[in-house]
Amino acid sequence: MKIAIPHALLYYYYFPLWDTLFRELGFEVVDTGITNKDILDKGSKAAVSDICAPIKIFTGHVIEGLEKADYVFVPRFARIKKPEYFCPKFMGLPDIIEGTVEGSSGRIISPIIHEKNNEDISSPKIYGILTEIFGFSHRELRLALKKAEEVFLRFKSLLHSGLTCDKALESYRTQRWEEDLKRVKKDGEVTIAVLGYVYDVYDSFISMDVIKKLEAMNVNIKTFEMVPTDIAYENLRHYRKRLFWTFSNRVLGAGLFYLKDPEVDGLIHVTAFGCGPDAIVGRFLQYESDIAGKPFTTLRVDEHTGEGHMITRLEAFVDMLKRKKWARVSHGI
Amino acid sequence: MKVSFPYMGSTIVYKKLFEFLEHEVIMPPKPTQRTMDLGVKYSPEFACIPLKMVMGTYLEAIEKGAKVLVTSGGHGPCRAGFYGDTHRNILKSLGYDDVELIIFDAPQDNWKAFWRNVQKIRNGVPWPKVINRMYTLYRFVQKLDELEKMVQKIRPYEINKGQTTQVWNEIQEKFDKIKTRKELYKVYEECKKMLLSIPTKEVDEKDKIRVGIVGEIYVVMESSINFGIEEILGNLGVEVERSLYLFEWINDNLVPWALRPKRFKEIIKKGQRYIKILIGGHAVETVGHIIDFKERGFDGIIHLMPFACLPELVTQSLIPKISKEVDIPILSLPIDEQTGKANMLTRIEAFVDLLRNRKKGRTKEVFVNEFQQHADEERVVVV
Repeated sequence: MKIAIPHALLYYYYFPLWDTLFRELGFEVVDTGITNKDILDKGSKAAVSDICAPIKIFTGHVIEGLEKADYVFVPRFARIKKPEYFCPKFMGLPDIIEGTVEGSSGRIISPIIHEKNNEDISSPKIYGILTEIFGFSHRELRLALKKAEEVFLRFKSLLHSGLTCDKALESYRTQRWEEDLKRVKKDGEVTIAVLGYVYDVYDSFISMDVIKKLEAMNVNIKTFEMVPTDIAYENLRHYRKRLFWTFSNRVLGAGLFYLKDPEVDGLIHVTAFGCGPDAIVGRFLQYESDIAGKPFTTLRVDEHTGEGHMITRLEAFVDMLKRKKWARVSHGI
Repeated sequence: MKVSFPYMGSTIVYKKLFEFLEHEVIMPPKPTQRTMDLGVKYSPEFACIPLKMVMGTYLEAIEKGAKVLVTSGGHGPCRAGFYGDTHRNILKSLGYDDVELIIFDAPQDNWKAFWRNVQKIRNGVPWPKVINRMYTLYRFVQKLDELEKMVQKIRPYEINKGQTTQVWNEIQEKFDKIKTRKELYKVYEECKKMLLSIPTKEVDEKDKIRVGIVGEIYVVMESSINFGIEEILGNLGVEVERSLYLFEWINDNLVPWALRPKRFKEIIKKGQRYIKILIGGHAVETVGHIIDFKERGFDGIIHLMPFACLPELVTQSLIPKISKEVDIPILSLPIDEQTGKANMLTRIEAFVDLLRNRKKGRTKEVFVNEFQQHADEERVVVV
């Protein structure tokens, strides 16, 4: 039996978990691959025109997955931390897919992820739907999930020790866990915190490899996954009310954490056109960086963004940071 | 306290609320292009249109002297619940330190904060008086909504164009002056008579066109942002019903779940045929109302949403499927500061023509699908 995991949205964060789970259960896992023009076109054609690029890309990957496999994995993310939720589009994701992708009905596997406080989403309760559809025993499922959780925790520890998501995913695929830690770049001239959801920052089609471009400019990268959840939340304590979306809170919390970190020279907020939660997160990040006095810029990207103008903006920002740092060092401040 | 509030729908109700609590009310002006411009200027670019409009309204109310702004909060996952905090943040950065923004969140989220807000708003009016007056207000909303529903049924068939709207404006002025419950019932009867005395033409039942308006609460309820869609449709000879009325909203949201009307629960159940869980905003209700309108014999649906509204985008994704399976034409209109009236008017007229033809049986299913396709293509071009 083949199951496809769309290479979009929270794939970048949870792939090791899902991959291990399905392999342990005896599935053949199909990865729909890095986003390309074809996938994007398929997605944009099927999806509603006003919806954000990540959802369009996800739709494209689902169509791709339906061609290559028997089933496609489309989880319904409702909450992983009380009292927060996910963006409504995540909560209605299987509904969106059923409404826009023809022939998807009955072929998408959609467990509901509705947990009180469990970022590892590996409780057997969630995946009970698999035992119903495919007839696994609960014991098999539990064993597979245990294995999956171990892998995911290992993956997370790599993130916390400073690897970016795509490098950690690489380690998972090659199974060279320890060696890869040495690949953390620490010798750059300046350090920039690149803040944004995993599906914006790592999708090479949306963000056009912003991280690789920055690293080529001799920049150290920090991202929100490197900040453990509890530390991110610790930084949000002065707000009257937290945001409603778990990953937005983590991005904002990590942003505030990096604003206090003297090592970090500037912040870049990577966001998709039409992203609802980011309209709020961006506003707060901007406001807080003004107060902290750290340079902040927003990269808003969609399926039409040109690469040239993005490089220009990144170069300008990095040059400014380097000059600022150089001036500070030479004046001995 | 000089109190003001966001402008949405029947604002005389909110005005009455604060008058009953013996505040000095600064009536926010009806949103205009200037309100929109002010809001757009100071709001995050990708916030939805309700946030921008309310921002503009606040700034205009502050110009008129408001010192306290009262609004509602929420607990997600729709962005609207965070608007209060975003507004406060913007007002602060604009230097309005003396303006207080009171945000009412659901009491179960934070009892203490809720109680503090209630005490502030109560303004020292003794409790028995408050309860009595709130009951009057409850009835006030109910009667006003009943009259509005009548207006929507009479307007399409009026003989003298514009008369119903004129009477409706008079009714609102009359309601504005009401002080007690006794007065309310008297004025209500008067107004009913006024409406019934409007001369109308006889229209055969099979020639009547009924359209249900569904979607996000602000763009559905506030006529200045949806270009007075009810009036436009009424003038085209179409009976209109909204999915949302203030009275029903109060019953559905402020009354405890166990006491809520059965109708609300049924609508949610119908909506869950397409959207399995509650995803915030009015997405599930919107789908439920579409199905409900069809079952009640409506001919078409107009779906209004702010551009990039999170929950309504889920609904919008499902509309082609629902339209096909439930067999009802649906026109989906995203609204933002760039939306032009002429564009909207053309599309509404075309939609009404389609409904008329369909009712007369002159159209085949193919045409309906084609129309939806054209509508989709047009949206791509316009946006």
